[in-house]
Formats: sequence, structure tokens, C-alpha cells
Amino acid sequence: MLARLNRKFGYDERSAAILVFPVVAVLLVVAAYPILYSFWVSLHDIVLTRPLRRPFVGGDNYLRIFGDERFWLAVSRTTVYTVVTVVVTTVLAVLVALLLNETFPGQRILSAVLLVPWATPSVVNGLMWKWIYDPTYGLLNALLLKVGLIERYRAWLGDPDLTLMLIANAAVWKQMPLAALLLIVTMKAIPDDLYRAAKVDGANVLQRFVHVTLPALRPGLMLVLVYETMISIRHFDLFLIMTQGGPGDASFTLSWLIYVETFRSLRFGTGAAMSYVLAMATFLLSWAVIRWLGKRI
Amino acid sequence: MAAITCEKLTKRYGSVTAVDRLDLAIGHGEFMVLLGPSGCGKTTTLNMIAGLEEITDGTLRFDATDVTWQPPHKREVAMVFQSYALYPNKTVRENIAFPLQLRRTPRAEVERAVADVSEQLEIAHLLDRHPSQLSGGQRQRVALGRAIVRKPSVFLMDEPLSNLDAALRLSMRSLIKHLHQRLQATFVYVTHDQAEAMTLADRIAVMRGGLIQQLDTPDGIYSRPANTFVASFLGSPPINLVEGEIAADGRFARGALRLDLPPGAVAPGRAVTLGLRPEDVAAPAPGLASLEARVTLVSPLGSETLLEVVAPGDVALTLRVPKEWRVRHGDSMTFGIDPARLHLFDRQTEARL
Repeated sequence: MLARLNRKFGYDERSAAILVFPVVAVLLVVAAYPILYSFWVSLHDIVLTRPLRRPFVGGDNYLRIFGDERFWLAVSRTTVYTVVTVVVTTVLAVLVALLLNETFPGQRILSAVLLVPWATPSVVNGLMWKWIYDPTYGLLNALLLKVGLIERYRAWLGDPDLTLMLIANAAVWKQMPLAALLLIVTMKAIPDDLYRAAKVDGANVLQRFVHVTLPALRPGLMLVLVYETMISIRHFDLFLIMTQGGPGDASFTLSWLIYVETFRSLRFGTGAAMSYVLAMATFLLSWAVIRWLGKRI
Repeated sequence: MAAITCEKLTKRYGSVTAVDRLDLAIGHGEFMVLLGPSGCGKTTTLNMIAGLEEITDGTLRFDATDVTWQPPHKREVAMVFQSYALYPNKTVRENIAFPLQLRRTPRAEVERAVADVSEQLEIAHLLDRHPSQLSGGQRQRVALGRAIVRKPSVFLMDEPLSNLDAALRLSMRSLIKHLHQRLQATFVYVTHDQAEAMTLADRIAVMRGGLIQQLDTPDGIYSRPANTFVASFLGSPPINLVEGEIAADGRFARGALRLDLPPGAVAPGRAVTLGLRPEDVAAPAPGLASLEARVTLVSPLGSETLLEVVAPGDVALTLRVPKEWRVRHGDSMTFGIDPARLHLFDRQTEARL
């Protein structure tokens, strides 16, 4: 028996198993267990105000979510927020990457400065933008007043039509640098001869971008789109710090709904079920993007 | 067709001068090869003709038109790159059609042109593939197709064969030569490969350090090299260069070595470098100078034999002799040399005497 095992798993395999064991063990405890446990929770009606009563309800939590109009509201808010954040981040990142891919005086310094927002912790980022938008001391108010675009200070985050966009703006500010960096790396790999060939063939700047840069950028764009979608769809900290889902339900997103359901209403069962729905949505969206862009590479 | 005239063409990068006041007139339909080692300025010159590199100083004319400040697409040139530079996301068909599409050529005409070109280059069966699915030789054919499809008056080629293996290089070389004969266009071809230069060119411009060393026909460059650099750059195996003096009797002297020169060639006492092409030896005969040497290495090539010999004065030479000569390692033999075929260069200036 042992001899057979030895033959099947030779020295290399066994030492490899021993070497990866610590990592696998840690992952089992901190990743696999919570994922499985939260799935178990999502199948039970667990409410923390009655901790001893935890009946098995099967898919009832999931069914209840889809009948909950708060859920659908949150889905629409999250969709708007995610689409705006991802699109603006990606477009800006492409433009910034195009700029920083050129050589000009100060280009290195600018590249370094670019990383500052990315290095800022997101709580700090949230607080910073909250102050910028502040109705009494805010920089935005001061600036717009000085330029003459507004006549008196406004409570920016109190405007339900603007809130989501203003939070998205804070998110873009933090996320764009990494996206730009990823795209610059992809751009650097485009052979110069392709641009030279395109120039000789008669392509203008825009045509060179469309026919040379953009196709070569696909792998980078895919990475950026998947990553930014995954991040944005699950954003939570900015909402906690800046608006807490308000004003009214103007920034009531899925992750905020999950937080409220789980930690304010203490309904762990439905909270866990919602988390699973969000995770599945994230997974499916990423898969769709990879399918869409990946097959053309 | 177009004639290309470079007048005092100069390219400087900061304090580095890549091309220095280059004068070059390339005729209608001429095949001009720019030959030189890397860093000699040949590619920079080509890029300036293409419009890919801004001209620091001087004038560039296509026929009578000053194109010094014209962007590449206005110059009606086509270019083939060493890296092929095919658009990786486009099929072969789309690659070839691209320059025409940019010119808003009607679709039917594009299709006809692509079919025609792919027929000529024997790549018709590859039209729907992507460049990544092609071999190096096929890729370069596609690149050639993309260049000829819009019938430009000037073809610029930047080491187009350098990425190909030896056998393929030979067949592509004759393909390019055929293309030139058929298209009757002006070709400017950059290479560091002397065999390519010799076989393809109507005229060769040998470059070094941003300057043209010699501009002549392949035969002129080979048989009358302007200086030791040109002499040693062309020919395989390379020319034998021996430093020495002109003796009082008018012969070349280096230690114990004496060689007859054409009468009155150079004044006695002058420090010179003697050039002897490996193939310029024969059996001893009247009217030929004779050279005694000991054979140290015999390398048969099949069609002929390469010999490494040591002549008096410890002068090591490489010689190429007919395969019929039965030579063995260690033999001492006498070679006949036609004095008229020897090359003499000034040792200081390296220029031909």
C-alpha cells in the first residue's frame, strides 16, 4: 500500500505537498471555512436578537431577497454606480496611460505622483472627499464660488441627484492610477515598429490609436475592466464614511444593504444570502467581460 | 518612380551626430543599398527618407519636390521592417488592405489589389490567417505585400531579411530582386550583410560613423575599395590586410616578406597597408609575383578550399584556392599573385593609394 503510494507520489510530489501545506492550511481556515460557513448561514433563518433559534429554511432567504423591493433599489443604485465608476476610471486611465507613455520633461515625477491616490487608504480617501464636499468648509464650494459657478455654498452630498456621482468621483480618483499603471505596462510592450509602419501606411494619430494601440491594449483593458468591476460593485467603505446610504436612499447600494441587513437589523441569514447573490453577480460579470474581450486577443 | 536627393542631410541627437551632412543622389528606379555596421547611420538615413525621423539639417527631395518637412504618408513611400511590423490583430488580408483602406480606396478595388498582390507573393492561401500563425518567411512576404499593394514610388527596406534563416534569406533575396525588376520603383535597402548588398544593389553606399565611405557599384566597391574599412567590410573571408612599407626597390616590404607591386605605384619609404583578397592567388606563372608560404590549416568548402598560411615575416594570410589543388597541412608552397590585383592603402589615412 505504502509502496504503491510512494510510486504514485514520488519524492518531488511529496516535498511539494509538504511545502504548500502551510499555505493551504491558512487558506482553508481564513477563506474556505468562512465561505462555506456563510453559505450554511444563508440557508438558515438566523437573527441575532434570538440567537438560540436558528431553523433551517433552505432557499427561503434567497426567495425573500428577490421579493424585497429594497434589494431591487440597491441593485439599480449599484448598477449605476458601478457602470459610472468603471467607465470613467477606464477612459481616464487610457488617457493618462497615453500621456505618461510619452517622454517629456517631468514625466517621471508625474508618474510617481500618479500613485499617491492609489496609495491612500480608502477610509482616508473617503474622509478627504467628504471634507472637499463639505457644505461649510468644503474646498469644492470655495472653488466653485470663486470661479463664479455657484452663488452660495451647497450641501453637495445632500443632493440625491448628485450623491452617487460624487462618491463615484472619489472612487475613480483612488482607482484610476492602478488602472493607468496596468495600461502603461501593456502599452510599453507595443513594438515601436507597428506605429512606424502605421505612419508610413498613412494612418493619422486617431487611426494609429484605433488600429495599433487599442487592439494591443485588450489584455490590459480586460484586466482593468474585470478588476474595477469587481472592486466597484462591492464598494462599501466610501458609502459608510460619506453618506451611509443617504440622503434618503440615494446611495443605497447592495453592499450597504447587506451591511444594514446584517449588522443593523442583525438578520444574518438574509445578509449572508445577499452576500452570496452579490458574489455570484460579481463572478458572472467578470466571466462575461473575460469572454467578451478574451476571445479576441 | 522617383529620384531621391539628399543634400547635406544631418541628424543629431543632442550632442551625438548620427548622420553627418550626407549627400546622396538616388536615381529613378535605382536599387540603392546602404551598407554598414550597426550604428553607422544607415537606418537613421532610411528613417529620414521615410519621414519617421525628423531631419536636423539639410534638404531631402523626391524628384523636384522638397519633402524635408513632409509627414510620412504624404511622401508615398512604403517600408518593410526587420521585425515585419504586421498588425497582430488583423488577418493577412486586412494587413495588406490596410494602407488602401486608409486611402479610402473603393472596396472592389481593394479586393482586386489584395488578390493580385497575394498571387504574386504566393500567399493567397494565407489570407485569412493571423500573423502569429505564419512563419518568418511568410510574415515577411505579407509585409512585402503590404508595401507593394499601394504601388508607391519608393520602397524603403530596413534589414528585411535579418530575422530569417540562411536558406530563406537566399530565396527572399531573389524575390526582392524580381520585385524590383518588375515594379521598376526606387528601392532603398539597409543592411549590414555584405552578400545582400552585393547581390541586390545597383549601387552601394558603404557607411561608417554617419558618413558615406564609398558610393559605387558592387563591383567598384569590391575591386576598388576606397579605404581599408570598405575593403575589410566586403568579402568573405575578409581581405588580408598587411601593414608594411614600400622598399627602395619599389616592392612591398614587411619583415622578410617582399611582394612585387605594379611599377611606380607608390613612392618608396611610404608606410602602407597592403590588401590581398583571398581569391586573388593563382599557381605561380611568369608575370606573377611569387609568394612562399607554409600552410597551417586546410578547410575544404567543397567548391573550393580555404587555406590559412604563414608567409615570411610571420604574416598570416587566408587564401582561397581551387578545390583541385591538393594541399596538406604543413606544406610549403609558392603562390602566384597578380600585382595589379593588390590593393594599397595609406597607413595613416587608410585611404586607397
